[in-house]
Order: sequence, then C-alpha cells, then structure tokens
Amino acid sequence: MKTTIATLALAGSLASALAAIATPAAAEDAKEKCYGIAMKGQNDCAAGPGTTCAGTSKIDYQQNAFKLVPKGTCVSMKTPTGHGMLEQGPAPA
Amino acid sequence: MTMSAATQNAFAIGLFSTTPPPSSLTAWNGTALERRYSVYRNNIIASLTEALVSRFPAALNIVGPDFFRAMAQAFIRLHPPRSPLLLAYGDDFPDFVAGFEPARELAYLPDVMRLEVARGRAYHAEEAVPLEARTLADVEPHRLRTLIFKPHPSLSVISSPYPVATIWAMNSGGRPLAALDDWLGEDILVVRPRMTVEMSGLPPGGAAFFRHLAAGVNLAGAADAVQHAEARFDLSANLAILLRSGAFTAFSQGTSDENRHDA
Repeated sequence: MKTTIATLALAGSLASALAAIATPAAAEDAKEKCYGIAMKGQNDCAAGPGTTCAGTSKIDYQQNAFKLVPKGTCVSMKTPTGHGMLEQGPAPA
Repeated sequence: MTMSAATQNAFAIGLFSTTPPPSSLTAWNGTALERRYSVYRNNIIASLTEALVSRFPAALNIVGPDFFRAMAQAFIRLHPPRSPLLLAYGDDFPDFVAGFEPARELAYLPDVMRLEVARGRAYHAEEAVPLEARTLADVEPHRLRTLIFKPHPSLSVISSPYPVATIWAMNSGGRPLAALDDWLGEDILVVRPRMTVEMSGLPPGGAAFFRHLAAGVNLAGAADAVQHAEARFDLSANLAILLRSGAFTAFSQGTSDENRHDA
C-alpha cells in the first residue's frame, strides 16, 4: 500500500528543522565585494548594467566591477586610480 | 582580401587536427605558411588547455600536470569550443574523461570533475537572495503539503558512488591528504547563496529530495517519493539543510495534492 506523509508529520519536521537552524547564526561570508580594483576582464560576477557577468569589465579598475577579496582588506587596496571601495561606483563613461 | 567560406571552414577544422594547412591558404610573402599555421594552431590548443587547467584545479592536482595536459589536449581536439565564453568550456570534459582509457583506474575522477563543473557554474550564476527561514515558519500547517520551491539559480546536486567531496577537499587545500578508510559514496548540494560557493553533504535520500523539489514537485510529493525509496530518509534533517544552505529563493502555493487522504 502506498502511504503518504501526514500534514502533522510535515509540520513537525519543519518545526524541528527551524529549531535546529535557529541556534547558531549563519556564519558570515569571509569575503567582501571590492569595487574598482579588478583589471579589465578579470572581475567576478555582476559588473553592473551593460555587462553580463564575470570577466566582462571593459577597463582596468572599473568602478562598478568587483572582485571578491578577504573581508576587511578591500579599502586598504590601492590602485593607480584610488582605493578599493565597498560600494559600487559609476559605470565607465 | 577576404577568405572564402570554404577556406575559413578548412582553416577552422585544421586547427584541431594535425593535417597540413588548407591548400587554399596564402601568405603575404608566400613563405613559411606551414610554420605560421602551426603557431596559430599551437596557440589555440595551449590557451584552451590553460582554460581547462584553471577550471579543474582538483583534477589537475590528482593526476598531475603532465597527465592532465595530455588528457585535456585529447579532449580539445575532439571538442572544439562552441561558445566564445571560456568560463563554460569543458562542461562535457568529465564525460570525456569517463571514457578516457588511460584514466580508467581513477574511477572517481569524472565525478570529482563534475563537482568542479557545478562549482564553476555556481560561481558564475546570477545572484539571488535565499529564502528566509522565518517566512516558512509563518505558513499554516495545512498549506505546507502543496508548497512548491523555486531553486536558487546556482543550485546543483551531485551524486556519486565515491567520496568525491572529500577527495575534492583534499586536493583543494581544504583538508590534509589522508587515507580514506570509509570509501563511501557522497551526495553534495552546491550553491552560491551569497558571495562564495558552498557545498553541503546530503544525508540518505537528500539528493533525490532536493532534485524533486528543484524540478517543481511539491513538498509532500517530494517527501513521499523519497520515503518510499529510502528508509533512512529524515525529513527534518533535510529541511534544516534546505533552510540553512540557501538552495531555494522563494516558495509558492501549488494547487494539486493528489496524494492527500489525511485530515
């Protein structure tokens, strides 16, 4: 005979799953998005309007393209056009 | 002067073989045609080899650079790129390796490479915000059965009869190299919920459960199907992974509930 899961069992499983994940806060990402530091075509995903995704930035140090870098290191990175930024800058002219 | 379509075609095909250059080719000063064409051919093969090297770092580590490059070049000659996007080149390299005679003793290698493909896809997938656990807590219990989940764009499930995630981790610097006493299969969920690609090992039945949900089967339907096939399936543990991993971004209320016969 084909048995099916009861609504009560489903609700109970969800309740214990919610309890299980409630305890430790999700570990924070150890990386941060750093804008304005990637060389042309070397950016990670999502370089903003006019580009599709990874590897699509058009110029060096493009202000709206990011690289993932270890957390806390972005703004200390110096490029010929200034420091890395945690906020996305304008698209190239 | 432009090349005729026939010459272009012969030029492209010739790049992936070892035949002399197409007879219709000419050089501006008429000399050293064969050598020039070889340089072109060599650059193509070398750059595609490097693309595969950077996409499959764990496999490179397992077989060593000489073996890997030879295997990659055998693949490249049979599978020239079909897209200008190198980040997708080599998606079918694991299938080729599965049938590559010199690598036959490394039965786990194709699955380790499939894991690397899944990680690469997840890395380049569109960004999306994962489902928040508390939104599920607010769903009325009688509506849970017919929930349909929307998979995260970066989600893949890899199943293997070999401990591929462990082998991958040992060859990616994640864990020290050590002998594997329990040579057990592993199922892995791969997703990039935020910035970095993450992997979760799945308990028994988990791979099928997540595949059903990702294919649009409702919650009760997915749980039923897996419970029938796998006695050790623990729904609660799998729901905890679902919520913690960020494998889904949203849910909606489905309508049909064919299996329903409880109150």
